[in-house]
Amino acid sequence: MHKDKDAALVNDCKRGDRRAMSQLVDQYQRPVFNAAYRILGNRDDAADATQTVFLKVFENIGKYNQEFKFFSWVYRIAINESLNQVKKRRHQQPLDDSQTSPWQDPEEKLDSERLCKRVQDAMMLLNDDYRTVVVLKHISGCSYEQIGEILQLPEKTVKSRLYSARQLLRKTLKSIEIENLGH
Amino acid sequence: MNEQNKNDQAPEDQRIQNLINSSIDGEINDIEQHELDDLLKNSENVRNLNKELQSVTSLLDGLPDIEPPEYLKSAIKRQVRLPVQSDADEKRSLAGGWLKPHWLRAGFALAAAVVVTVGVYEMGSAPISSRDAASMAGTVAKSSSLDQQGELLDVFSLDTGKLNGQVELRNKNDLFTLDVQLSSVEPTEMVVNFSVHGLEIENVSGMPEPEFAVSVVDGSIHLAGIGEQHFTLSLIRTSAAEYDAPLELGFYTNNKLIQKAELNISQN
Repeated sequence: MHKDKDAALVNDCKRGDRRAMSQLVDQYQRPVFNAAYRILGNRDDAADATQTVFLKVFENIGKYNQEFKFFSWVYRIAINESLNQVKKRRHQQPLDDSQTSPWQDPEEKLDSERLCKRVQDAMMLLNDDYRTVVVLKHISGCSYEQIGEILQLPEKTVKSRLYSARQLLRKTLKSIEIENLGH
Repeated sequence: MNEQNKNDQAPEDQRIQNLINSSIDGEINDIEQHELDDLLKNSENVRNLNKELQSVTSLLDGLPDIEPPEYLKSAIKRQVRLPVQSDADEKRSLAGGWLKPHWLRAGFALAAAVVVTVGVYEMGSAPISSRDAASMAGTVAKSSSLDQQGELLDVFSLDTGKLNGQVELRNKNDLFTLDVQLSSVEPTEMVVNFSVHGLEIENVSGMPEPEFAVSVVDGSIHLAGIGEQHFTLSLIRTSAAEYDAPLELGFYTNNKLIQKAELNISQN
């Protein structure tokens, strides 16, 4: 999220510089994919959404207002595209087995993956508004202010949704007996 | 689940939750922190709620970063059209307009399958026809009549007796074009190692069927044929990095390397 560097690359893209486009894709492809994945809960859908996001970004790069942060604009398109796909498909598929995991020990990895799957499943039970703020906060690492800018919502609303989402997740995860939920 | 859920809570519960969440996100002021500390000290329920919400936050923060599919980045770059079109883009639009995400994914899967099943230098075993190659969306696009304009970067001439001909390398914007003319009486194969230069295959055109076969293996394209051959290989630069190393070509007849060539790809 380097505002000045992004702005320079965006200007180059507006002049048709494909290398600048390439750098922006390199920089944002992974975070956009991860945000889409956590909203959609499916790897193929997330890949489709990510491709569409970047096509829209560069198709509309001439209309991008540089008073706003580029990453906020990209994330806004990513969130909207992901939610559009959710509405179109309305299926909730479990995570596939190909996700990477930071844990090394096989037994621990198994448990950790199961835990991650349960957390993702719990996220998929949240409504779209709640899941979106959770993803932007905990997956994309955005601040309240950044989430507000991306979703064009007051910070107060962002907090309210995030707190409610966590509370709902707490109840859901507790009901499926996540062992390490604080006890 | 909807907005109704949160409104079911008593106001004091909502206040406690807000304090705990603010604390978790580091957005709590001194007065609120004192209030929360008192609540935590005096209420087991608040302590449990605090622990549980802390755990939920830890679980969310601990979700692993997911590796995007390998094809994704190059598929995006290949499809993107910038609003101010360069000459290279205009050329790309001749072949790329029909590419869609699902087609690309299928194309890359097919290309990967081809890599597994086709031996690197086994020219006689099930070669890929130009029609097959054209179906590899994203790997080798349909033939088109690309012109030969652009700056001439390098020329290489072959005269081995078994294999004669010439290769011209031209460049315009990010598009590199190899214009190849070969003449041989035996089966020949030209191998271009393109991936190390941040290049991707844009187009192969002018291939006479059925004598011509194309395969892509580990970042190299293999163009096999016999007799008089005149074809054009277009490579597009998708990486932002500059590469000074020459473009490496290998020429084979009957599966034996008979000539190596290096073409200067640098525009300096």
